[in-house]
Amino acid sequence: MAKTELSRKTKTEIEDSSSLKGTLASVFLLGFFLIITWVGVYLLFISRF
Amino acid sequence: MFNPSAKLKVDPRDGKLAMAHFFVAFTALAIGGLAGLLQTLVRSGKFELPAGIGYYQILTVHGVVLGLVLTTFFIMGFQLAATSKTSGALTNKQRIAGWIGFWLMTAGTVLAAVMILLNEATVLYTFYAPLQAHALYYIGLTLVIVGSWIDGAAIIMKYAEWRRKNPGQPSPLLTFMSLVNTMMWIVATIGVASTVLFQLLPWSLGFVETVNIGVSRTLFWYFGHPLVYFWLLPAYMAWYVVIPKVIGGKIFSDSLARLSFILFLLFSIPVGFHHQLMEPGIDPAWKFLQVILTFLVVIPSLMTAFSLFATFESFGRSKGATGLFGWVKKLPWGDARFVVPFIGMVAFIPAGAGGIVNASHQMNQVVHNTIWVTGHFHLTVATSVMLTFFGISYWLIPHLTGRTLTKAMNKLGIIQAVIWSIGMTFMSGAMHAVGLLGAPRRSSYSEYGGAAQAAEWIPYQIAQAIGGSILFIGIILMIYIFINLAFFAPKGEQEFPVGEAADEAEKAPMVFENWKLWLGITVVLILFAYTIPFIDLIQNAPPGAKGYKLW
Ligand code: HEM
Ligand SMILES: [Cu+2]
Repeated sequence: MAKTELSRKTKTEIEDSSSLKGTLASVFLLGFFLIITWVGVYLLFISRF
Repeated sequence: MFNPSAKLKVDPRDGKLAMAHFFVAFTALAIGGLAGLLQTLVRSGKFELPAGIGYYQILTVHGVVLGLVLTTFFIMGFQLAATSKTSGALTNKQRIAGWIGFWLMTAGTVLAAVMILLNEATVLYTFYAPLQAHALYYIGLTLVIVGSWIDGAAIIMKYAEWRRKNPGQPSPLLTFMSLVNTMMWIVATIGVASTVLFQLLPWSLGFVETVNIGVSRTLFWYFGHPLVYFWLLPAYMAWYVVIPKVIGGKIFSDSLARLSFILFLLFSIPVGFHHQLMEPGIDPAWKFLQVILTFLVVIPSLMTAFSLFATFESFGRSKGATGLFGWVKKLPWGDARFVVPFIGMVAFIPAGAGGIVNASHQMNQVVHNTIWVTGHFHLTVATSVMLTFFGISYWLIPHLTGRTLTKAMNKLGIIQAVIWSIGMTFMSGAMHAVGLLGAPRRSSYSEYGGAAQAAEWIPYQIAQAIGGSILFIGIILMIYIFINLAFFAPKGEQEFPVGEAADEAEKAPMVFENWKLWLGITVVLILFAYTIPFIDLIQNAPPGAKGYKLW
């Protein structure tokens, strides 16, 4: 019992004090957006030239 | 790092110098904004210019006044103020250099403007040969550039003085950034100055009959790409250094910011061929090399994106935010000094995506010379950069004039940015879409002899006119806020926000201040990317071109 409580507590602290996981998610979203845009125009290019 | 000068106000004498630049810049905004509105109205097909005024004359006004004058004046004013704030008041000698630069730039602007208004220089802001303007137009633009060098000299002198007085210390971040941008500008403008002085001016004066167009365009774009980074880096200065302070957070990393600026210095110049991908006379292998160098600029751009997200997230979490995106809610959404540049940052995401498409060598065929390109740079310079400059103005103008940004003006500033975003979504969105359908840029209204393809474009042109009209309301609001902050806002103290690094002990490595090294690499890269194709353009040149005045 004590063990579960301990690990739960540590978990919340590690998660929120200095975590940059939102930043990680944001840069991934940004990267996907760049890729989608590029592939979209690439397909247009392939279909035209 | 505790920086004692961070408490000080910008010296009022330097403030006056910066304000002089801002008066010209915002006058340019008003004139150029009106021209932009007229362009979109003409292109909708529902409106004709009165008194026989030509579409391309208006378009020349718009490009010169907004792309060249507004940007250069605002940037010089901002960088002078930022340097004075972070490295201390300019000496008399430095300030005199600033004033000489300012007056030369202003005289050049007036000269070029008069020639455009007399319809002697309807050659657009890129003045591509064989279009030939009146010699005074070229002289006017030369004065603008020479003036900007002297203005820049003030910043270089201040930097050198600071380093002398603080041996072994990294320079203040905003001074460092202003210096990088000034040096990039000087290296870049050598190209455009060369084509103007050695090719276009003698040719328009009749000393030489013909001109080598390939060489002239190459020299122009040697300058033209760093030009867009010259616009962007001051916005990055605000994003990296000012915004963290405005929201109450910290700069994610001082060294990362310096490194990204150095990378921009290195990779912004040897890439001009990405504007000439569709041009003959340049070997595709050299185009490909410059495409690779272009893609290296993606690195500092993504470093910037990462660092900004991290600044925002760290701040939000320090205020107790949880979850993946809880920090977004903690940002100060009621503060124009944050919200307005933030919208600019968001706009940079589609802007950057479009830029990657433009630069992708063969894919450039899909968009080249279509109005997609115009849509692209109205996101980059006319939204990301402009909204950031507006956001800077909301604290810098009152700081320099000894006034304050009132609650009402703060609110109006946010409304202004929202209007701008709506207008730009219509205008730039329609430009991107119809550009992919093949609609050309730089063209007045035409039904192209009733062609079915051109008929498809018309609804998008109407959407652009709707967007342009909304944007023009934004211009009027901005001018109103500027006049308020310059002359009428209540007297008081408005802070000049300068952020501090998250890690106070972190001292930026001194190698960043080694200009022999960085300028050396810059020059080597330029020589590598340009020497052989340039010799090729001269040795295997077609017959030169006579001048044309097609308007
Ligand atoms: C009221 C806001 C604005 C409107 C309605 C507007 C509209 C337009 C339109 C319709 C064009 C393309 C015309 C064509 O290719 O035939 C254009 C071109 C251009 N705009 Fe804007 N614009 C606005 C603001 C700005 C701003 C703030 C900047 C820069 C800071 C800017 C810089 C340029 C440049 C450099 C060109 C290219 C000119 C050329 O191709 O020679 N515009 N604008
Ligand atoms: Cu470019």
